[in-house]
Amino acid sequence: MIAAMSLGLSSIHRLSRLGFVPFTALVVLFAAVSGAAGLPRLVSLNPSLTAIVERLGAAEALVGVDDYSAQITPALADRPRVGGLFDPSLEAVMALRPDRVLLVAGLEQESHAKALRQLGLEVEVFENERYEQVLANIERIGRLVGREGPAAERIGAIRALRAAVERATHGRPQPRTVIVLDRSPLYLVGAETFLDELLRAVGAVNLGAEVARGYPRGSLEWLVAAGPELVLDLSPQAELAAEAERDEAASASAGALAFWARWPSLPAVKTRRVLALDATRVSLPGPDLDRALRELAVAVHGAGIEAAIERELARREAP
Amino acid sequence: MIRLTPARLFAVLGGMTVVLVVIVLSALATGPAPLSLAEVFGALVLGEGSDATRDIVLGVRLPRVALGLLVGAALATAGAVFQALLRNPLADPYVLGVSGGAALAGIAVLALGSVVALPTQSVPLAAFVGGIVATGLLYWVSGGRGGSGPTGLLLTGVVFNAVASAGIVFLASVAGFFEGSRIFLWLIGQLSAVEIDAAGLVAASVALGLTVACVLARSLNLLALGDESASELGVPVDSHRRALLLATSLMVGGAVSVSGLIGFVGLIVPHALRLVIGSDHRLLVPATAITGAGFLVLSDTLARSLIEGRELPVGAVTALLGGPLFILLLRRSQSRSRLP
Repeated sequence: MIAAMSLGLSSIHRLSRLGFVPFTALVVLFAAVSGAAGLPRLVSLNPSLTAIVERLGAAEALVGVDDYSAQITPALADRPRVGGLFDPSLEAVMALRPDRVLLVAGLEQESHAKALRQLGLEVEVFENERYEQVLANIERIGRLVGREGPAAERIGAIRALRAAVERATHGRPQPRTVIVLDRSPLYLVGAETFLDELLRAVGAVNLGAEVARGYPRGSLEWLVAAGPELVLDLSPQAELAAEAERDEAASASAGALAFWARWPSLPAVKTRRVLALDATRVSLPGPDLDRALRELAVAVHGAGIEAAIERELARREAP
Repeated sequence: MIRLTPARLFAVLGGMTVVLVVIVLSALATGPAPLSLAEVFGALVLGEGSDATRDIVLGVRLPRVALGLLVGAALATAGAVFQALLRNPLADPYVLGVSGGAALAGIAVLALGSVVALPTQSVPLAAFVGGIVATGLLYWVSGGRGGSGPTGLLLTGVVFNAVASAGIVFLASVAGFFEGSRIFLWLIGQLSAVEIDAAGLVAASVALGLTVACVLARSLNLLALGDESASELGVPVDSHRRALLLATSLMVGGAVSVSGLIGFVGLIVPHALRLVIGSDHRLLVPATAITGAGFLVLSDTLARSLIEGRELPVGAVTALLGGPLFILLLRRSQSRSRLP
């Protein structure tokens, strides 16, 4: 879900946001007094970029964020909001007098980038569809906020974990998997996405890649016919079920299994390999791809894989 | 008007039913998964075949076909009734704002989905209740002194729809990301096997609406001539109009609750049939129900089969199919009427 949110997939999603714009003196006051010494004043219009800034220890640089960023990053809940992902208020952005505005390229935000540049603001445009693009974003934002060291460490940690995961899962069974972003309408993780790359890295076959690239709307009949051995349910319904139960992932997975059990022929249902995952932890193309890799590896191979990953990491670190 | 005889009634409806059965069987045999007719028949009738075949036929295609039949029949019949009642050829099932009420309530629950966990069935249920509330308001408005005439009803519908549209836009604006995309699909209209849970409610409302429309078909013929003429010919205008409005509105509310706003079916099917079989509602109403059901099932089959592995919203297909078809029929009808 967060992947799709961050990427700005298609114009239909423009419906989803208008957001409330805090045109108050308080905002202007906040804008005037914030901005820690040495840090540029940034407005981020994308949750994945916001998360990178925050993870690199430069949250104080953020003088304004989009609604989604504030929603999924509790530390930024009190930051001035400048509207939704696809329809931020240019006036609200201007009022915060940022040095730079960070946003992700896409049909929806290209026009915002143009408008902001015409208003005299510096705009940094990023791409975050693919794994390497996300790592490049961490490096670039590290330079922007003067946190090159932490950025390099983060990238190193992600690369190291990916290598360890690939070694640890090598030779293990490769389940035919679908990652479900939404149930009805059905949205899947398709080819040429960072989640597709992560799934392959942990040794699973992404069936959604057969449908289309990006995050396509899938057909239920296709899914039943494809017969996935593992269903990873990242849909909002699964998330909300977990929140409602105030329980661990187990209850959400039980709810997801109950939903997918409507089609009992699914191999994943027969073997009860339907898992609900927290989208905010797995599908954000942000600074924690190593965490996403770990969680996907556990989902695909079971909790026992963690020890194997740690062994591989230790082997790499050993002199 | 061509005289309606029992033989003609049975011949036309019988022929249409045969075509509908062929469409339904074709729909069950068509989809992204390559299943033979024998496999479909085995799963459907004998419960045979692999688990996956049974799931695809019984768990994916059959619910879609069933919903398509119900929703298509409801929308087309409602279109025929409203066009006669309001004496307006552009009237469609959505004209009186019942769909707006249903959509507003359904979308309110969809938008709430980003805040609280709600069961899947709550959206169609809320939409159905929204349709009932809107119908109640309509009843109240139309139940004034002597009842509202067609113009009053149309204006009421315009106001209902305007208010509902404003509410929908507001909710869409503040909804979450995926709720936003669901709202978008609701506004175009789509069928989903998941909504089969609400089929009982829809079936009941469609049965009621169809029964009332068929029983009062003769009154519809006379109401289409105007209230005074109908009254002179012995039709209790107010009570029959209200009964037709309420039963048909409930039917539309039921359809919208599971499919969202599917356009064109209610507008073009009755029109097209009038051009082919005439305007006698005793034949037109059941024929419209059968044709609407077949048209929507056909459209949905295309929607789920045109692009392998992916789906199109059925509302887009009905518009793409229905618009040109309607223009073609209209032009043929115009050129016929110009003949010496």
